Amino acid sequence: METDELLINMGPVHPSTHGVLRFKLRMDGEIIKECTPVLGYLHRGTEKLGEMKTYLQFIPYTDRLDYVSAFPNNYVFVKAVEELAGIEVPLRAEYIRVITMELNRIVNHLVSIGSLLMDLGAATMIMWGFRERENALQLFEKLCGARMTFNYIKPGGVREDIPEGFIPQLNEFLKDMEKRIEDYEQLINSNEIFLMRMKNIGVISAQEAVNYGMTGPTLRGSGVDYDLRRYEPYSIYPDLDFKVCSRPEGDSYARYIVRIDEMKESLHILRQVVDTMPEGKIVSNPKYGIAPMTGTPSAVSTYFPRIFTPPAGEVYSRIEAPKGELGFYVVSDGTTKPYRVKIRSPSFCNLTAIPKMVVGLKIPDLIAAFGTIDVVLGDVDR
Amino acid sequence: MDPVTIDTTKIKTVKKKPVTALEKLEDTGLISTVLAAREREGLILFSTVDQIFNWARLSSLWPVTSGLACCAIEMMAVAMAHHDIARFGMEIFRASPRQADLMFVAGTVTKRMAPRVKQLYEMMPEPKWVIAVGSCASTGGPYHESYAVLKGVDLIIPVDVYIPGCPPRPEAWLYGVIQLREKIKNEGYGAKWGLNK
Amino acid sequence: MNPAEELKQKLPAAVVSTGMQLNKPMAVIKKEELLNAAKKVKEMGFDHLSVITGTDYNDHFEVVYNFFSYEKKQNLVLKVITDHDNPEVDSLTSLWKGADWLERETYDLVGIKFTGHPNLIRILLPDGWVGHPLRKDYDMNTEQFVTMGEGGEDVVSTDGGNLLRRK
Ligand code: SF4
Repeated sequence: METDELLINMGPVHPSTHGVLRFKLRMDGEIIKECTPVLGYLHRGTEKLGEMKTYLQFIPYTDRLDYVSAFPNNYVFVKAVEELAGIEVPLRAEYIRVITMELNRIVNHLVSIGSLLMDLGAATMIMWGFRERENALQLFEKLCGARMTFNYIKPGGVREDIPEGFIPQLNEFLKDMEKRIEDYEQLINSNEIFLMRMKNIGVISAQEAVNYGMTGPTLRGSGVDYDLRRYEPYSIYPDLDFKVCSRPEGDSYARYIVRIDEMKESLHILRQVVDTMPEGKIVSNPKYGIAPMTGTPSAVSTYFPRIFTPPAGEVYSRIEAPKGELGFYVVSDGTTKPYRVKIRSPSFCNLTAIPKMVVGLKIPDLIAAFGTIDVVLGDVDR
Repeated sequence: MDPVTIDTTKIKTVKKKPVTALEKLEDTGLISTVLAAREREGLILFSTVDQIFNWARLSSLWPVTSGLACCAIEMMAVAMAHHDIARFGMEIFRASPRQADLMFVAGTVTKRMAPRVKQLYEMMPEPKWVIAVGSCASTGGPYHESYAVLKGVDLIIPVDVYIPGCPPRPEAWLYGVIQLREKIKNEGYGAKWGLNK
Repeated sequence: MNPAEELKQKLPAAVVSTGMQLNKPMAVIKKEELLNAAKKVKEMGFDHLSVITGTDYNDHFEVVYNFFSYEKKQNLVLKVITDHDNPEVDSLTSLWKGADWLERETYDLVGIKFTGHPNLIRILLPDGWVGHPLRKDYDMNTEQFVTMGEGGEDVVSTDGGNLLRRK
């Protein structure tokens, strides 16, 4: 019998592509022969806008790159600017930043695991995930007034101090979350269908993962025990005690487990940070050093000049965002606007490996493998 | 034929707890001039075609899943348990535009996505409505100056309700939905086809 | 010794100068020697190609490669300077598969050609887009629109055609 190859188009509007990604698939029967992702349906020209805005004006745009976890985006751009201009940051501000980033890591993994399971046909987890996410968002809202797009971390510190009642609410969230994660594990980890869908699917070896430039939980799921928080420490991470979670298998299941473990580690980190939180100023001024005035400022803009010019130079600054290594390459020419902003987004680089991972699998397995890579299209296309 | 006029002042309204299905229907307030034939205890219903149609349409708006950017995450939040869009009978997000009659344009419409959004809209059967969610879909929002972003989805498809915000809070989102229901309630039969003009 | 100096010792012909990119050791490489230098860099244990950046400096382009070594936990930056009229550098896809999309993106937005790249086409913008947006002389005033052709492919035009309801 004569057989023919089949071309299948998936996306850009497809419920399982987490946004507007498109796959072109060449199929041999049910088996994927070749998979070509087509990107750019959400290309918003953020890098060009970076050249058109001042440093402070650009911070809101970083929120909208990886919109599921916006705090780390804020932070890494600000970190690059701070490194460029040599701005000191008060210790309390660093603590607040770490609280926000770790909370955001939990939120990110909740959304990622929830939508992964929804794609596999299990609707419970996304309901649960969004329930807990809502609690975390209430904390964010208390802190900075926004649910998703925060614009909170500013050069020299943070925009506002922790409001009253935040820490008790956070403690409650931590206590609650611990139980919830156990629930998730009970619900999912030993589910027969889930295991069959995830084990040995989308396998990528450690060597290949490194070669493809994968980072974050996807890399750690392949057994490379690497985390920028540990090995290129920034902020207050050197003082904190946490494990780097990794699994040797390199399949979808391993990546999922790494995410669950990371949530637990984030809870552990948050508990330490809350316990050792110092008092003090939350913002510094590039001219005068750490907060010269008394009292807690309500807005950085009153302390931090709106127009500010870092010295000419270039910097590549990177952190461990929930999705992997997030870096900003900023070139300053000594004017009020960046000369060039390049965003190294983890989703974009992790997605590179998808064509390799799915050859020989079926389409539902592509969904499973893709779900565990955890991309956000705003981060891929920028 | 003379039109039947009803002197509504003569009708005594006693507010009592709705028991029968018809009474419950009346109680929703969605069908305002519904008059049940009391003798037959709710078997005959007087209304206008407009109202019955509109009531049916607005009570089960099925949105098409067309999350484009950040606002789509809030769309998920609206659909989930906490904000629970199922209260409006619209929790069924359809993956196929053929089965949907409402489109949330939730996110930035880039130049490259624009023809796809338009095609998606054209594939939806009549009658259909569009809600532009967020400043991006309304005007281009923060990306107004970008080379790759369309400055408002109303450049390519007609929009019924705009919800401002970046992203709009779920409450704002629900308010927008209520506005759309208000709008549908007052539409004439065939308004979408321009028949009553 | 920092890795940039080490590279200079191993390949004196390829390295123009060494310095620092703020806090990361950096070596400026001759354009023709990039592939050789990259091979050496990989041998030195820099297995992670973090990012490729192209920048337009009006009279020349700079392509910057940020490397990292998982084993030694070291950073290394390579920089290549090309002329403005015909920016062209060697592709590193044969050494790092991750370079594939990064180079395509640099080609798409900055317009630097990578010789030896297996599939050097636009990645974020549709084929047929005029200009490279991240160049400083990119015309921001002409709006370009995308419509769909017969087979669902992107067609770029400046008038919006059948796309817009109103101008
Ligand atoms: S309006 Fe704001 S949140 Fe919504 S898609 Fe646009 S940038 Fe994102």
